[in-house]
Amino acid sequence: MTAKPDPLIHPITRLSICGLLAAGADWIEFAALRDAAGISDSVLSKQSRVLEDAGYVKVRKGAIGRRPRTWFRLTAEGRRALEGHLAWLAQLEEAVSGSARDVQQALRSPFESVVVAPLAGTETTGVVER
Amino acid sequence: MRDVARDPAALELLRVQRSQLADRMRPPWWYLTGAAIGWALVFACPFGSRYLPHADYWTIVVAALAVACLLQLGLDRATGMKVGPRPLRVLRDGIFYYRPGRPALIAMLVVSLAATVTEASLIRRGLLVAAIVVAALAVVAEMAGQQARLRGIRQELRAGGGAA
Repeated sequence: MTAKPDPLIHPITRLSICGLLAAGADWIEFAALRDAAGISDSVLSKQSRVLEDAGYVKVRKGAIGRRPRTWFRLTAEGRRALEGHLAWLAQLEEAVSGSARDVQQALRSPFESVVVAPLAGTETTGVVER
Repeated sequence: MRDVARDPAALELLRVQRSQLADRMRPPWWYLTGAAIGWALVFACPFGSRYLPHADYWTIVVAALAVACLLQLGLDRATGMKVGPRPLRVLRDGIFYYRPGRPALIAMLVVSLAATVTEASLIRRGLLVAAIVVAALAVVAEMAGQQARLRGIRQELRAGGGAA
């Protein structure tokens, strides 16, 4: 699997939809997906259509009695794109936390050289003198 | 629309959403009751094959299968998720991964085979009470296995099914 960003599933709503569909269920019903993703009916309809047009999501419509029901599933192409995108995101997260560590280290270094090191030296001297 | 790259909590949000989805995979009371009835019918088959005419025996088998299908349909509707038959392992990136519910499923198969054979053997020797006790224990064991299997499915949903 190659880690690469996918502009289609980059927006967080579409990432949520794909991520939930990839979680392990074969098909997920409209209401279950909407509730888990925490989005409105119209947003789910709009975004799922974009994903369906791209071939990432398969949509099956049916009815139970008079109630229309819509089921979604992630296609193999959608899964590949999602896995690549998630791997890229994980790399990004790692890079961001790595650079944050560097910044902290850089901020700590002058402080240590000016304040901590002389104090440590004093302490050591104190121990020797005792 | 919010952008993932500018939202450092995006992956964490996805984990929370998957956890919410996994929480939906909790069977309602009628599913567990129906499953117990279904398993009781399965373990009644050795008695049926011995004491019932041929046609009645097959009625039990068909009834058990019908109960299983109806329960699965009901669970799909209640949870909003179709999980379907699951292979014991999946191939990802050239490596086989064992699924979380695998030990429970294997245990359920072993228990059903062992209990059916033991029951048939006990019935042949005329030990009816012992056979009924074995059937009852097998139903309890199968129900525990079913719960463990559903826990495995929830665990897989939380983990993201291998994606991330």
